Amino acid sequence: MILLDRVTKTYNKKGPAIERINLHVENKEFVVIVGQSGAGKSTLLKLLTREEKPTSGKIIVGGIDYERLRDRDIPYLRRKIGTVFQDFKLLPNKTVFENIAFALEIVGMGNREIRHTVPKVIDLVGLKGKEDNYPNELSGGERQRVAIARAVVRQPKILIADEPTGNLDPKHAWDVIRVLEKVNKHGTTVLLTTHNMDIVNKLKRRVVTIRDGKVVGDRASAGYNKQVV
Amino acid sequence: MRPKYHFYSTVRVLKSGFVNLFRNLWLTIAATAVMLVALTIISLGVVLNVTANNAIDVLSKELKTGVFLNDDVPVEKRNELESALRSLDFVENVDYISPNEAQRRLTENPIIGNDVLQAESIFEGEDFLAASFEVSLSDLSRAQELANLAESEQFNEVVKRVALGKTDTGDQTDAEKAIERAAATERFITISSIISAGTLAAVSIMIIFNTIRMAIYTRRDEISIMKLIGATPNYIRGPFLVEASLYGVIAGILANSIVYTLVYSLGAKVAEAPEFSETYSYFTEPTTITLMLLSSITLGVLIGALSSMLAMERHLKLKHW
Repeated sequence: MILLDRVTKTYNKKGPAIERINLHVENKEFVVIVGQSGAGKSTLLKLLTREEKPTSGKIIVGGIDYERLRDRDIPYLRRKIGTVFQDFKLLPNKTVFENIAFALEIVGMGNREIRHTVPKVIDLVGLKGKEDNYPNELSGGERQRVAIARAVVRQPKILIADEPTGNLDPKHAWDVIRVLEKVNKHGTTVLLTTHNMDIVNKLKRRVVTIRDGKVVGDRASAGYNKQVV
Repeated sequence: MRPKYHFYSTVRVLKSGFVNLFRNLWLTIAATAVMLVALTIISLGVVLNVTANNAIDVLSKELKTGVFLNDDVPVEKRNELESALRSLDFVENVDYISPNEAQRRLTENPIIGNDVLQAESIFEGEDFLAASFEVSLSDLSRAQELANLAESEQFNEVVKRVALGKTDTGDQTDAEKAIERAAATERFITISSIISAGTLAAVSIMIIFNTIRMAIYTRRDEISIMKLIGATPNYIRGPFLVEASLYGVIAGILANSIVYTLVYSLGAKVAEAPEFSETYSYFTEPTTITLMLLSSITLGVLIGALSSMLAMERHLKLKHW
């Protein structure tokens, strides 16, 4: 599903943000990427959503070779990848329903189809009854679940979650992780970045560790190794 | 994308552009007002130019050039001259006025009446009873060419003299002056309306540019989210383009309303005059009204679209996705 072959990204002369990274993620896999702040986790995800171009190396996602990707095709690539951000990135002047529907509106889906699809996703993330609330009326965990709902409403093959629990207390953080697990169970490949030790240890999923822009650990079902990180 | 999806996207872009119009109402009013002034001046410039042009045409046709003939010119010589005059491309019509006809006209003149002696005293030295050709010109500025032909060696024995700018009333100088004044006014209208409309169009482009720039700035978070979740550049840009074009539509309709208020109120007062009657009925025809309205709206939309595209090119760099 995701293949990175000797990918390097350099922003300035200080050295590469990520260097010769090799990563292969299978379809329907749940992968946790761990690393300290500045290790290169976000850069890696930005390369996958094509917010950044690699300096060198090859990236193939869902059969799409990024080298051959034209700028005008980027929106269509992003429609195949759901993205969740640490700061939620919800539109404050839209309700929960409207925020989720927005992802369907931009692809041109009809109103009737939207009215049919959105409630199902709201139900999936456990926000039934909050449809008409605005983001500022929700807790952090609820806002993040809205963001996940918006990311998965188009049923993408891949969901990228960049520190989705970073701003949440442990209870809400686990609510969000449970939703991600549920999404993964429905067949979506999930890529989660975090430095929450508790989440990594309890999740028991594949863990890829990044330090100074390099992959220094890749374990099929690992805990959080403080020394490696 | 399926055609149905294109339809929904287009509808949403239009709706969003319409909503944006009311988000920054004062900026919308300012941008529309400047464009309104520019379009009003452009439309008024067109109306005044057409009016002046038509008036000059009417006056030019009334102003005839007289080619006075010597006494007892043989018919064949006279016909030869007539053919030569008709062969000039700017000559519209040539009428032969016999001495009898000239006398009849003179006696019918309300000022002179039957008093030929009085006429002689008025037109002292003039050839008012000589046979002549009365020539109508389509281009009055070329009257001298006609004079050169008539006074050439070839017609030396036929032509006594040429009077440029002769009218039926014989009031040559005033008519010529009127045409010159009308032509000068037309030139003034053309130049001043081009300068002022151009300046105001540039000002409205700058104001709309700024309005759209501010709209882009206030919506930057929304735009970045739209980009990240897969909106196409057209979907993001569309509402700004629609918003700026709507300024043009509103300004175009208002400008046309102002211009037609003036046409109906002031135009009606001068519509009786022969030099304005044709113009007045032309501008009040439904086809012309529709054409003026559509032109005004189209120009407004073009100014709006150009300004918003400039703003987006500078402040919404969707190329760098």
